[in-house]
Amino acid sequence: MKFTTDRETLLSAVQLVTGVVERRQTLPVLGNLLVIVDDEGVSLTGTDLEVELVARVTEGVQVERTGEATIPARKLADIWRSLPENAQVAVEAEGDRAIVRSGRSRFSLATLPVADFPRVESAPGDIEFSIAQLDLRRLLDQTGFSMAQQDVRYFLNGLLLEVSSEHIRTVATDGHRLAMCTLNKGVAGADRVQVIVPRKGVVELGRLLRDGDDPVYITLGKNHLRASQGGYTLTTKLVDGRFPEYDKVIPADSQNALIGDREELKQAFYRASILSNEKYRGVRLSLEREQITIQANNPEQEEAEEIVAVEYNGSPMEIGFNVSYLQDVLNVLDTETVRLSINDANSSALIEGPGADDSVYVVMPMRL
Amino acid sequence: MHDVWPRIIAHADMDAFYAAVEQMDDPGLRGRPILVGPRSQRGVVLTASYEARPFGVGSAMPMSEARRRCPEALIVPPRFARYQELSEIIMAVFADFSPDVQALSLDEAFLDMSGASHLFGPPSSMGRRIKDAVYAATGGLHVSVGLSGTKYVAKVASAHAKPDGLVVVAPRDACAWLAPMSISRLWGAGPKTQQRLSGLGLETIGDVAAADRTWLHRELGQVGLHFHDLAHARDPRPVSGHRSAKSIGSERTLSADVAGRKDIEMHLRRSADRVARRLRRKHYQAQGVRIKLKTSRFKSLTRQRRLSEPSDVADTLYHATHPLLDELLPFGPFRLVGLAAFDLSRREGPEQPELFDDERRSRDLEKAIDGLLERFGDDTVFRAADLVRDRTLGRQGPSLDFLDDSN
Repeated sequence: MKFTTDRETLLSAVQLVTGVVERRQTLPVLGNLLVIVDDEGVSLTGTDLEVELVARVTEGVQVERTGEATIPARKLADIWRSLPENAQVAVEAEGDRAIVRSGRSRFSLATLPVADFPRVESAPGDIEFSIAQLDLRRLLDQTGFSMAQQDVRYFLNGLLLEVSSEHIRTVATDGHRLAMCTLNKGVAGADRVQVIVPRKGVVELGRLLRDGDDPVYITLGKNHLRASQGGYTLTTKLVDGRFPEYDKVIPADSQNALIGDREELKQAFYRASILSNEKYRGVRLSLEREQITIQANNPEQEEAEEIVAVEYNGSPMEIGFNVSYLQDVLNVLDTETVRLSINDANSSALIEGPGADDSVYVVMPMRL
Repeated sequence: MHDVWPRIIAHADMDAFYAAVEQMDDPGLRGRPILVGPRSQRGVVLTASYEARPFGVGSAMPMSEARRRCPEALIVPPRFARYQELSEIIMAVFADFSPDVQALSLDEAFLDMSGASHLFGPPSSMGRRIKDAVYAATGGLHVSVGLSGTKYVAKVASAHAKPDGLVVVAPRDACAWLAPMSISRLWGAGPKTQQRLSGLGLETIGDVAAADRTWLHRELGQVGLHFHDLAHARDPRPVSGHRSAKSIGSERTLSADVAGRKDIEMHLRRSADRVARRLRRKHYQAQGVRIKLKTSRFKSLTRQRRLSEPSDVADTLYHATHPLLDELLPFGPFRLVGLAAFDLSRREGPEQPELFDDERRSRDLEKAIDGLLERFGDDTVFRAADLVRDRTLGRQGPSLDFLDDSN
């Protein structure tokens, strides 16, 4: 195999595909990219057995000889990135070596047999639909931060994607807080199909999406989700498990609701968090008429107090929260104000951005 | 008024340990001056009982000199195996009070009691409870306990009211409390250093505290700064245990080897129940889980993982073992199955309740069962699966529960 191209043509493809490759692999070949050169262009594939990303580039590539090779991913990406801008590059496989040439630079990399490179099987999908990239991006961004990390309840280490004829919805929870975002554009014929996309699949999918109306094509299979956009095809295994019944933990709207300026609250929570206990991150909120007091302290007995004017007409109460959970929500909301609805100090609180009805957040209070 | 201490450190030191053990085990020795040590003239006294001490006898004194000063003292040869045995009991008592125990010798340890007020009350009652627990567990040995905000002050405090002492020095009073004491109480000041300090006109710890820091540095070098810090009760060193409980485990050698996932899981489940119960009893939580399987060829295999949050729930520990078992299953059959919880911390701080009920329900159920087992005995409640296991696999070997404090 042999082709020539310029650095910029393949730069983002090499980088995105290498992003999927884990730093430590169970099989040596998983540290490599599969490079396939056919008459029309080049395909690069990276995989960690859970997520596979294929980048296909046809424009700006001159094929001299078709063929296949696997090349060490990170080394290739590092070389590619550090070549001069617009450099012409030739890539060639010879025996068990891959040669990269550019100007007066030459690199000889060790390859591994193509036959050892594992491919994710491409079973036919049950549901296919397209969605604007910016819509899918919002579904992921508004909820992804609430996914669990390496939780024993493995089904929480991912994002629920629910597709029905009325909506496309994402839900994420780590067991203490939950985020839900709903796009009111359904998929005809879909009967509330639920799949759990693993954390890594969510992160890599997010990297592929641009802020535009261009569509991304999604295929849902029994065990896989496939997303195609531009020249990229991402295939991720799905988490085999039952996601908790999220609708049961979303509290009904309460009369005890406060509305405050989002930016002002965000800043106040940030400052208070500096003196909260680094491990537990607890803050105490005292709700009174027209104002909220945020208090934090740490084991060194240092204390922070912030008073913020809000609209609140409910009964006075005190409630504790992990401040990080509140900050995460205030960061992803893009509304002017924020609405925090609380029933009592032991029940989950509901957070929404008035005017952005697609997203709902639930946070369990902390007993301080 | 009890103010909140940033750190609470206890120093516990057995009173005349070897001599007290001998007097406890042999009523004939009680109330009499005894010297524990070799009978030979060339040996040194290991411990003198409190009855012998008024004669000016102490540890490390040549036996010949001690006998000259206190002719009526009985000489008792040491029984190290017995001291070791009691030491293990004492250290186990300490481990019930804190996951962070630093043993300094057989009979002396630091305990980090920070954050344990809700379990044991204010520092004075912590000290009282440690003393009572040691007395009860050993069958009659006294320990002196000092509590303060630093290791140094705690150690000085435990020595201050021996024997059977309990001294609590609030961190903000520590500097004033130390001030009148002799410089011989400075940690690391031997006879030679004491002479040098005296030569500089420093007789008490208060003198050292009042001295100019740069002057001390010039006169004594680095150690001068160290003494200045101690005199101001500044001692940030943490309690770093070689002997603290690093893990709590339960393993079992089986009467017949197991290879099937279901059979192994039954044993892991049972180990998880035992381990979680012991965690809860000690008010610990674990953030790591390890499984150990020994193959029929006696090769021990372990796999471990961290939990996203500390837990003392058997169900959580058990489910965490599933991916670990996946990795080891191909190496079976196995003759031993065990599970250990490590990375232990105290259950403390604010509680973050769960959005979904599962973990809370499991914990509530397990705690209810704890109560039943405590009231009615160990075999009153067990999992239905254990009934099946006992039928299919016959009688099991004894189970080994361990508190690993080896490293």
